[in-house]
Amino acid sequence: MEYSSKQSQEKRRGFIDPRTKLALILILALFVMGGLGGEQMQPLKMILSALPFALLLAEKQWTRFFRGVCILVCGYALLWIMPYLPAVLSYFALFCGGILTRFVVTIMMGEYVIATTSVSEFISAMEKLCMPQQVTIPLSVMFRLFPTIGAEWKSIRRAMRMRGIHLGGAKAGQVVEYQMVPMMTSSVRIGEELSASALTRGLGAPVKRTNICRIGFRAQDYLMLVGCLFVVCAWILEMCGVRLW
Amino acid sequence: MNEDKKLNGRDLINIGIYGAIYFVILFAVAMLGMIPIFLPLLSVFVPILGGIPFMLFLTRVKNPGMIFVFAMIMGILMLLTGMGPWPLLTCAAAGLLAELVLKSGDYRDAKKAVLSYGLFSMWIFGNYLPLFTDYEGYFAQRADYGQAYIDAVQKLMPLWMAPVLLIACFVCGIIGGLLGRALLKKHFEKAGLV
Amino acid sequence: MVELKNVTFRYGAAENQNGAKNSLSGVDLSVKDGEFVLLTGPSGCGKTTILRLINGLIPHFYQGETEGTVLVEGKEIRDMELYDTARLVGTVFQNPRTQFYNVDTTGELAFGCENRGLPEEQIYQRIDDTVASLGIEKLMDRSIFHLSDGEKQKIACSGVNVSGPDLILLDEPSANLDFEATMALRNMILSWRSKGKTIIAAEHRIAYLWDLIDRAVILENGRIARQFTRNELSVLTPEDLAQMGLRTNIMEAPEKSLLPVYQENDEPMILHDFNFSYRGRKQPVLQIPHLRLAAHEITAVTGNNGLGKTTFLSCLCGLEKRFRGTLEYKGRNYSNRDRQKLCYLVMQDTGNQLFTESVLEEVLISLPKNTENAEGRAAELLRRLDLGEYPDRHPQSLSGGQKQRLAIACALASGREILLLDEPTSGLDYGHMKETADMLKKLRDMGTTVLVVTHDTELIRHCCSRMISESSFQ
Repeated sequence: MEYSSKQSQEKRRGFIDPRTKLALILILALFVMGGLGGEQMQPLKMILSALPFALLLAEKQWTRFFRGVCILVCGYALLWIMPYLPAVLSYFALFCGGILTRFVVTIMMGEYVIATTSVSEFISAMEKLCMPQQVTIPLSVMFRLFPTIGAEWKSIRRAMRMRGIHLGGAKAGQVVEYQMVPMMTSSVRIGEELSASALTRGLGAPVKRTNICRIGFRAQDYLMLVGCLFVVCAWILEMCGVRLW
Repeated sequence: MNEDKKLNGRDLINIGIYGAIYFVILFAVAMLGMIPIFLPLLSVFVPILGGIPFMLFLTRVKNPGMIFVFAMIMGILMLLTGMGPWPLLTCAAAGLLAELVLKSGDYRDAKKAVLSYGLFSMWIFGNYLPLFTDYEGYFAQRADYGQAYIDAVQKLMPLWMAPVLLIACFVCGIIGGLLGRALLKKHFEKAGLV
Repeated sequence: MVELKNVTFRYGAAENQNGAKNSLSGVDLSVKDGEFVLLTGPSGCGKTTILRLINGLIPHFYQGETEGTVLVEGKEIRDMELYDTARLVGTVFQNPRTQFYNVDTTGELAFGCENRGLPEEQIYQRIDDTVASLGIEKLMDRSIFHLSDGEKQKIACSGVNVSGPDLILLDEPSANLDFEATMALRNMILSWRSKGKTIIAAEHRIAYLWDLIDRAVILENGRIARQFTRNELSVLTPEDLAQMGLRTNIMEAPEKSLLPVYQENDEPMILHDFNFSYRGRKQPVLQIPHLRLAAHEITAVTGNNGLGKTTFLSCLCGLEKRFRGTLEYKGRNYSNRDRQKLCYLVMQDTGNQLFTESVLEEVLISLPKNTENAEGRAAELLRRLDLGEYPDRHPQSLSGGQKQRLAIACALASGREILLLDEPTSGLDYGHMKETADMLKKLRDMGTTVLVVTHDTELIRHCCSRMISESSFQ
């Protein structure tokens, strides 16, 4: 079979455009997690809360979907049994339940975005949003380095275990030092080599970068964006004291 | 290559490298912030631990604008992680102040570097802003967190905490800067990283 | 095509302190279109520095004092921006783990062209051509974090191919590769040769490209010591090369060494149930129900990448919590926790296992508590491992070989009986490889059991007496 990079990029394309995802994150952060809007916005918020779950289903992210549902069920179960518990435990149940049911939406949205957006898609979206290189280059380096820093962290922890250095009794300062010094040294070295390699391949040239990622708005994107706009409008109208329903 | 005062590819990659380390620390500490008692402590731990990568970052800063871009990147990441638009504003302000202070020392003055980090750390206050700008409203909206959570937060975060937190960010930033400098001297200079 | 005229270079204070050693003095070198030149010589001889002068990293990334001129296609590199040089020169670096900017392979292939702003359609076309001509369909659309080092290096070479510069620089690309991956790299070079590309390679492991090169340039202390043309090369024997401090020119798979796993009179060390698979994956990485090893010998662990050799070491070391196998030694069964006190692993990234601010301190924290005359004992260990001169140096500032020796000193200080090493000679020249071999022999004579994961046939020839290979793993 002939390999076609164009077709395979097309196949990897997500259900919605990364820019739409950005808009959704913002709306969710403001209205669901940030709690903007009053009484009238409640039904809209319910729909917004269901959105990440719907999107996970649309992209066939079954495990993530079920994890989300489990958290939600646990949260509501805690709230439901709360009145039947003794005082101390009931506070605890209320507290955990409150946090679980509240955060699950944003956590699921985050999971969805991370699971379905590749770094190049994200950068491509930033470029399309006319973000300057000063923003896109550092961000792409960061996304590239996060897994590497994680791996270095693990490797250092293993090395400590292997050498029999246990931090139980040690001073807090020493913990920071032993962990941070090799981590910083190796991250910086990796970063230096990374930039040498990137610069010899022409990163930072004063031309408009192209990107082989296939992104762009389709019907579902327009639908979501109009939805976002509607939420904002409804909120403004509510602020002006207009009764919608 | 100092005659070239514009940010080049290497500068931008450096922002990415140190930004990544800083953000990992921030994220690790923020995980603790989910528990109410630790919420105010964010303004203590993040500035102190973040001082280590940041002071190393400052040794790489030669061209104007690097600190400001660093701060803006943090603001954008806060926006992406659902902290709302407030941190973006404080990042811009704190980044600009930090940049100006370091520039006044021609990007070399060690004391000004510590001061600059102290100022930079004040961006963290942006994460608390939604709480303080609309104190009553904030809790009204969070009624479904459960009364226990609200009580706990209200006890920890009375209104007068606002200036305290801002100052805490700054002071801990100075401490973090000094810690960063100490490690710089003790390790990174000897290790050949500086 | 490439011309260095009387080039002298010294790294600035900002770059690392062994800079002075790495500088060049009065180098004249010219490479014609379509020529394949090998730069070789002991570590620190300046071969990487020459490559950096040609691809513009010097003076635009690594700073220092340069004299003389460096011309590529008649243009002075010093006066060109790095992104302009990038169109003329492509570089493959030593470390496959740190040269990727993207997290997926396809994006990595496109990277050079994207930076140049080529239209998307053209980039797709170029990628497809490269994929078809190099046969790397299986590597496309993968995360770079799930590739072996050999596969990563293949992608790095393919990336250069997509950008399509006429001059290709190779900076020790084979340092981390096993035998098979090295052969694949050789094929890549062959295909560049057939397209008439100019290639300059800096390498210690010269065997795989020995019969492909037009000229070998041997550097010593920043000067060109000798040059051999194609005809002169063919008469050189491995002994001649060793005389010059170079590695062998004979390509040989490590499995050819035919060493026994275990012999009659050896003291046995028996592995039981060495089965392991990663969480969430059915396919086991390790499947060794029963294996008898020889104590107090140097055993080579060979086989191609991805066979779980590194996993084998960390299981043996007791670092995998989910691992249930045991080690029977001197009539005792060692569990995970016990083995942590018995074995010591010298990792590939040695820097990650050194924590303190000085070499001496590093050994001191490894000594058991309440050791009498701890400082004296530590100093003695350092002397034995040729680190006696540097008790106050920062561990992270040492060279790769020195870090390795320091890690071994710590192992000896903590009194471990079994020493495990993961690829100790990757990227080492002949002299340092031989030093490592001699040191391992010294350790064996002191009674330590040594297991080395390696695909360095020369190291095996120099010091190993037992060998576990691919067939023992599954």
